[in-house]
Amino acid sequence: MRFVLEHIAKSYDKKEVLKDVDFTFESGKIYGLLGRNGAGKTTLFNCLNDDIKADAGSFWLEEKGDKRDVIPEDIGYVLSTPTVPEFLTGREFLKFFIEINEKYIKDIKPLDEYFDMMGIGPDDRDRLLKDYSHGMKNKMQMLINMIAQPNILLLDEPLTSLDVVVAEEMKTILRSLKEDRVTILSTHIMDLALDLCDEIVLLHNGELEVIDRAELGSHDFKEKIIAALREDYHA
Amino acid sequence: MLKTLRISFSLKNTYRVNGIIHSLKHTPLIKKLIPDMWYSVIGLKYFAYAVAGLWEFLSAFLGKLSYIFFMIFLPVFLYESMDVGQVFLHIFICLMVIGSYANTYLFNPSNDKYYALILMRMNAKEYALVNYGYAILKVLIGFLIFGFIFGLKIGLPWWQCILLATATAGIKLSMAAIFLLGYEKTGVGMSENKIGVPGWVGIFVLLLAAYGLPALGITIPLQISVGIMAFFTVTGLLSVYEIIRFTDYREVYHQILIDYQNALHTAQDAVKEQNKKRISVDADIVSNKKGFEYMNDLFVKRHRKILWKSSKKIAAVSAMFIVALVVACFIEEEAKSVINEMMLTWLPYFVFIMYYMNRGAIFANTVFVNCDSSMLTYPFYKKPKLVLELFWIRLRELVKINLLPAVVIGCGMALMLWVSGGTDTYMNYVILVVSIIAMSIFFSVHYLTIYYLFQPYNLNAEVKNGAYHIIMGVTYFCVYLFINLKMSTFIFGIMTIVFCVLYCIVAGILVYRLAPKTFKLRT
Repeated sequence: MRFVLEHIAKSYDKKEVLKDVDFTFESGKIYGLLGRNGAGKTTLFNCLNDDIKADAGSFWLEEKGDKRDVIPEDIGYVLSTPTVPEFLTGREFLKFFIEINEKYIKDIKPLDEYFDMMGIGPDDRDRLLKDYSHGMKNKMQMLINMIAQPNILLLDEPLTSLDVVVAEEMKTILRSLKEDRVTILSTHIMDLALDLCDEIVLLHNGELEVIDRAELGSHDFKEKIIAALREDYHA
Repeated sequence: MLKTLRISFSLKNTYRVNGIIHSLKHTPLIKKLIPDMWYSVIGLKYFAYAVAGLWEFLSAFLGKLSYIFFMIFLPVFLYESMDVGQVFLHIFICLMVIGSYANTYLFNPSNDKYYALILMRMNAKEYALVNYGYAILKVLIGFLIFGFIFGLKIGLPWWQCILLATATAGIKLSMAAIFLLGYEKTGVGMSENKIGVPGWVGIFVLLLAAYGLPALGITIPLQISVGIMAFFTVTGLLSVYEIIRFTDYREVYHQILIDYQNALHTAQDAVKEQNKKRISVDADIVSNKKGFEYMNDLFVKRHRKILWKSSKKIAAVSAMFIVALVVACFIEEEAKSVINEMMLTWLPYFVFIMYYMNRGAIFANTVFVNCDSSMLTYPFYKKPKLVLELFWIRLRELVKINLLPAVVIGCGMALMLWVSGGTDTYMNYVILVVSIIAMSIFFSVHYLTIYYLFQPYNLNAEVKNGAYHIIMGVTYFCVYLFINLKMSTFIFGIMTIVFCVLYCIVAGILVYRLAPKTFKLRT
């Protein structure tokens, strides 16, 4: 499966945030989307998630050579600030989500099994989500996106504010999820990108560009990325 | 001193002007005309300053004009048998006392104060004195002009007209001095946004005294009124000394503005905290429904307090009113004919009442902040079929909430019509009940439809949509027009019912067509 973006553009007033985003993502890989503050990473995600209408361009999925439009079920979007319905308990949210999406979820398991999978303890499962910690909310959001098994998983700064243990757990989960889907992860943290991602893509000057790792060692690769991003600044 | 006044005035203006441009930028059609640069165009700024200056000037005078005219001058003529001058002074003094602590200028926490004192660290004492002096000057001049105009018209001698202005300024100054002395004693600053229960009881009692006592033929005797005004004129003058002498303005403002500071610095957190508190933690709340019905059921149960409390209160207060009027019909023969006529011609007025009682705005806000703001980030939640399914469930909930007071009022009106002598057109009973219910349903549909079609909130639950403001403004304006409409209940009631049915159909179609596209987070 391929996720193809073609000539996506988006401006705010006269500021061209996305000029000509043209890129093909392939399933089975985690893409690290790097860019400076204000480069338009979130704007790009919002366009793909249909929260913002792009000014130009289109994107679609290609399966075995067949083109088809992206539908809401295709996309999972995990925001850096986790958003969960705070008036529900973890269990209630999960139950509600599964009921609504019954038709699309393959092999539904007992709810507790899902919580076990994420390492959310039995005591926490029946607490209101408003009382969850940041990390637990994040896990909950990730869980929902895992169960939905979207073809495209967008992660906006997913691990930035998690403690080291949860962050490590999340990395393992993300790696286990990458088969059969396109995972795109935006981040400021270069080490995270290098550690977790199969490809590094830069968003600069409103365009996407893959940085070829080639035979470069970690240090030289970093230098290359930073040099590329600096260029953007002077442009 | 002048420099401080100029800086604080220009700060206030910048804030106002940017606010104006910002909302223009979020208004359809106009937003295309305004580039980002507009914030920095110098000429535009000067123009806006001029507009803001003019506005400052007009608001100072128009505010005082309408205050004296509508709150004091007009009501005087309700009490025909009384001495107009005496009633005028009676109402004036009661309201003046309310204003002395509820409208102090000095202790009003506001954005421009926050920016000036906390963010820009201006000299607090100088800022306070200059701005307060300016505010008091506006009071003096405004009340002098309109006090003279209306006072002379009502037959007060000229020196009493002058006292109106000096007493109003004087009592404000006196109160300010008392609050400042209080701060020196207790260390607790007064904020006029937090007058507490005693403050509100005071307002209620004074309003009752202002307009209720003259109805019973009781007013403050003329000499005493004059004495009170003279007294506050003198204490006001003495208080000026204390206000100038006081040194701890920085501490006082820091205390008053601290809530503000928290609210601004962590606006997001503060809003979130507040919203969290709306959620009931009662562990017994469960639901055995499925899917969206399940979610909605839990939502309503856990937000029962904010969603249902006012509705119940309104219903209870309305019921009390109705009982009182029914009793009045039995006691006072005269009341009967008045109430009977009201029931048969005042239905249009109830459009306004039903508008005010409707819980739609709160409902939409709660639904957004505690549910949709997070759920809308999940793609499945935006599927057209599901958006519509939830819309109908919510509409049903909102209609239920508003129906309680509507039924009470509708049935109450029919009852009042009956006990006050009844009507030959029996349909009128039915029409009263049905049209009140129709109005209630109409406003429920209206609020929820507007919410779904414009979804005006961003993640921080701030309204970021000029069109939404415009529609709400137009709604208010239309509703307002009904206040003065006198029409037979029969005709107006039928028109209302037909309109409400048509509106609901149109709204339904619009939601079907547009909501799947419009119902998303604002960024």
